Amino acid sequence: MSLEQFKNRNVGTQAYKMIESEPTPPTGMGRFERVVKRTFKGELFVGLGVTMREMINALFKGEMHTIKYPMEKLPISPRYRAIHDMLRLLESGHYRCIGCGLCEKICISDCIRMDTRYDENQRKEVTEYTINFGRCIFCGYCAEVCPELAIVHGGRYETASEQRASFSLFEDMLTPIDALKQQKEFDGFGAVTPNADNAIKKTPLAY
Amino acid sequence: MTARKNKTKTITLTIDGKVCQTEYGKTILQVARANDIYIPTMCYLSKVEPIASCRMCVVDVEGVDGMILSCQEKATDGAVITTNNEAIFKQRQNIMKLYDVNHPLECGVCDKSGECDLQNKTMEFNVSQQDFTARDQHRPVENWGFISYDPALCIMCEKCVHVCNEVIGDEALAISAGGYNSTIINTKPAEDCSQCGECMAVCPVGALVSTDFKYSANAWELEKIPASCSHCSAACQMYYEVKTTSIEDPEPRIYRVTNNYEFSSLCGAGRFGFDFENRNVAKDPDAFARTLDAFRQAETIRFTASITNEEALIFQQFKEKSGVKLICEEARGYQQFMAAFSYVTGSSLYNSDLKKLSESRAAVVFGTRINDDAPMVKYHLTMASKHHQARIAYMHPIEDADIQNIVTQLMKYEAGSEEGVAALLAKTLLEGKEIPDTIRSYLNDLDVGNLSAESNLGEEEFDLLKKSLWKKSGFTLVAGADLYAHPQAENIARLLGLIERYSDFDVLLIPPATNALGVSLICDLDDEATGYTIGYNAEGDFVLSALGEGDLDMPALNQQEGTFTSLDKRVVPTHVALPYGGYVLNDIMSALGLKKRYTIDYTSSLPVEQGFRAIEFDALPDYFDITGEEHRGYLLSPFTVEKKLELKPVSALPTYDGIVLYQCNEGNQFSPFTQKTAQLKRDAKLRGSVQFSTVAKLKEGDRVKFTLHGVEYQRVFTIDTSMKGTVAINPAFDMGLSSASVSYYRFSQPKLERMDS
Repeated sequence: MSLEQFKNRNVGTQAYKMIESEPTPPTGMGRFERVVKRTFKGELFVGLGVTMREMINALFKGEMHTIKYPMEKLPISPRYRAIHDMLRLLESGHYRCIGCGLCEKICISDCIRMDTRYDENQRKEVTEYTINFGRCIFCGYCAEVCPELAIVHGGRYETASEQRASFSLFEDMLTPIDALKQQKEFDGFGAVTPNADNAIKKTPLAY
Repeated sequence: MTARKNKTKTITLTIDGKVCQTEYGKTILQVARANDIYIPTMCYLSKVEPIASCRMCVVDVEGVDGMILSCQEKATDGAVITTNNEAIFKQRQNIMKLYDVNHPLECGVCDKSGECDLQNKTMEFNVSQQDFTARDQHRPVENWGFISYDPALCIMCEKCVHVCNEVIGDEALAISAGGYNSTIINTKPAEDCSQCGECMAVCPVGALVSTDFKYSANAWELEKIPASCSHCSAACQMYYEVKTTSIEDPEPRIYRVTNNYEFSSLCGAGRFGFDFENRNVAKDPDAFARTLDAFRQAETIRFTASITNEEALIFQQFKEKSGVKLICEEARGYQQFMAAFSYVTGSSLYNSDLKKLSESRAAVVFGTRINDDAPMVKYHLTMASKHHQARIAYMHPIEDADIQNIVTQLMKYEAGSEEGVAALLAKTLLEGKEIPDTIRSYLNDLDVGNLSAESNLGEEEFDLLKKSLWKKSGFTLVAGADLYAHPQAENIARLLGLIERYSDFDVLLIPPATNALGVSLICDLDDEATGYTIGYNAEGDFVLSALGEGDLDMPALNQQEGTFTSLDKRVVPTHVALPYGGYVLNDIMSALGLKKRYTIDYTSSLPVEQGFRAIEFDALPDYFDITGEEHRGYLLSPFTVEKKLELKPVSALPTYDGIVLYQCNEGNQFSPFTQKTAQLKRDAKLRGSVQFSTVAKLKEGDRVKFTLHGVEYQRVFTIDTSMKGTVAINPAFDMGLSSASVSYYRFSQPKLERMDS
């Protein structure tokens, strides 16, 4: 199933097929006749045939439907809220976080902390950033409030580890610099709306 | 302020349907605020004259065409005023739209975000898009020492310029006018501006921010802890703003100091000298046991006057219990001076205060380098000068270039001749006043010629002083620390007492250290230390120290709760900003038999007979109300003292020939505690004029050694071309525990010994 289908929330426009079933016979005799008819129709073999066909397809034609977790994973909805990712700017590779502290402020389980300073380039530098995943309830407020879409929820839903600290540092959450090309724009809660371009008003430039 | 004559006239006006009564002379905005009616402003600052640059405060007055600026228009009897309607809203919204043009959208990183007037008003007036435009330009960030200025964020409200000129008196900031290109400029280099930080306190946006604080925390993360500044006797209102040190270190740290800038001010020491706490102290039972032993065998306790009233009371009660001697050099001289002063005036306290001073029409400053000794007093002098055109006579042996702009008459006398100067001053100010014959004949018998010659103050200078006073009323005499330790202090005190009692002058005697007034009222101080001595932040055989260099650690004043007695004669509370893990004085005294659970349990036992009140610490108020009335702690009540009128003849004035050193902690330094702070810490230098260097045969950068009252100083000499004469300034803030004992007469003539470098 593709993401577009996931994201289409307008019930009724999808390609649902209504199954037409006959009404249940009103009399006892009628219901008995239906049972006998179904029993001797041979539909059982149709079903077994389908199973056989799929088995052959899977074994000999490479159409296996089983996902070999954890080597393979199903795509997960962008609205799913798993361990956070910290994104980078695609052009410069610099991390997006500006250290505004809004995620820290909005966090209802008070698990985000950051230290900032005035750096040599006259910018606000995030010197340290942690999320305490022992407390995080994955509510998604941080991603929603982030003005830069720097902190987002990733798809990493396996939160078992020897230590929770394994997830919690800025460097661990940050897109690796060599994987910058693979960084996906976040589509989940708090992301730019699909019609954002139309909503932008230009600043008048009269000069 | 300007309508003194009609002060008593009451008027009635209606604002938004509410009938308001007020006295004539108040502006519409002041009346509205006093009656809880909201009028938005961007540039209004209560403590300066209306700036009228923002035009947000416009109101409608019935029968008057157009909108009226409520911040500068006086309320008139019977006026009917509307503070808000559609047209006014539109007007204010347009102003906000203009303010927002090209304002950098960097709220995410801006220090002001969360407490920004521009943010608040942009939301309030519903400005969501930019309708106007202007070509933006490059405006680089400027660094002005402790303060940094980002012109791109500046909205040109001009509050900083006004506060710098009208209150602080530095006259460092000015406007470079040029339409959209206007900026604030600092006309003085960073080292010449007093670095008080008041400009950044009043800045409604993030244009002026602390260089040290910048980008280190957000406004909403900081916990504001109300306190009183512990560096000097002004004990100004302030908040320590506290947050955890870092992710690794959960201990709280003070990030910055803010204040109620609308009604009070802070100097640079208060604003930037906040991290003097005694860090990482744990309870050491062995040291505690040794301390108890030391107290049991102590004959003397020596302490500085930078303690709370409660601690002073603990010492006093311990003295009553065990008979130890109490030594506090800083407060002792002041105590005796006040006693002699009170015998003449008949009241236990001097009669002026800061508010009176700021409304004075003339002021005489005598015996204090005011700009360094008590910046808050200097600010009030500036207000008197700027708001009331007060004439200010500055009497001191060293001229001070930093206050040139407010001083109208410099009266430079010889070091050591204060007694003669006081006599001549009394003679001048009491001329033509009704005084007892004994005093009249005493003053008439003064050998004016000799005194003038010895003090180097001619009669014509006093005539000039007299002339500048003859038309006005509301005079203040400010006297300071040079006099309290003077060998003839008692007689000087009596002469000043005469001035308060018989002339039109109110007198303000600046206490020489944070709580010198409190200590002098609470403690029964002794003159000389004998035997085994315990020093509390001072030298002794056994030392309790908040500087972290003693036998037992003590909490610094930002780790303690208690009260100070300020020079405004007010008992003000201060609170614990940072935790402290060690023992406090009350623990020691509890173990020695003075049973009180907390130090602040002593607050209600402060001596009522000395003017204190029996109020629990937690019941002390600590705020300014909307009209600017101060509700911090309570005012001391003066009590009547039996009058004794004895005057000694003026003794032969000592002569200080050759080079003289003047003890003075300059430029935002008051004590080892200010020196301990990261931002204020600097090298103490002996600073003298070119003339001094010639006479003393010293070159710039020479190292000298000298001994003053048993304390050895090593100083690098530096020439200051703005100074004149043969008096050099010698600070003592870097002397650690011994800096407290530097409470002798401030002028001295030690032998300077050159050291090989």
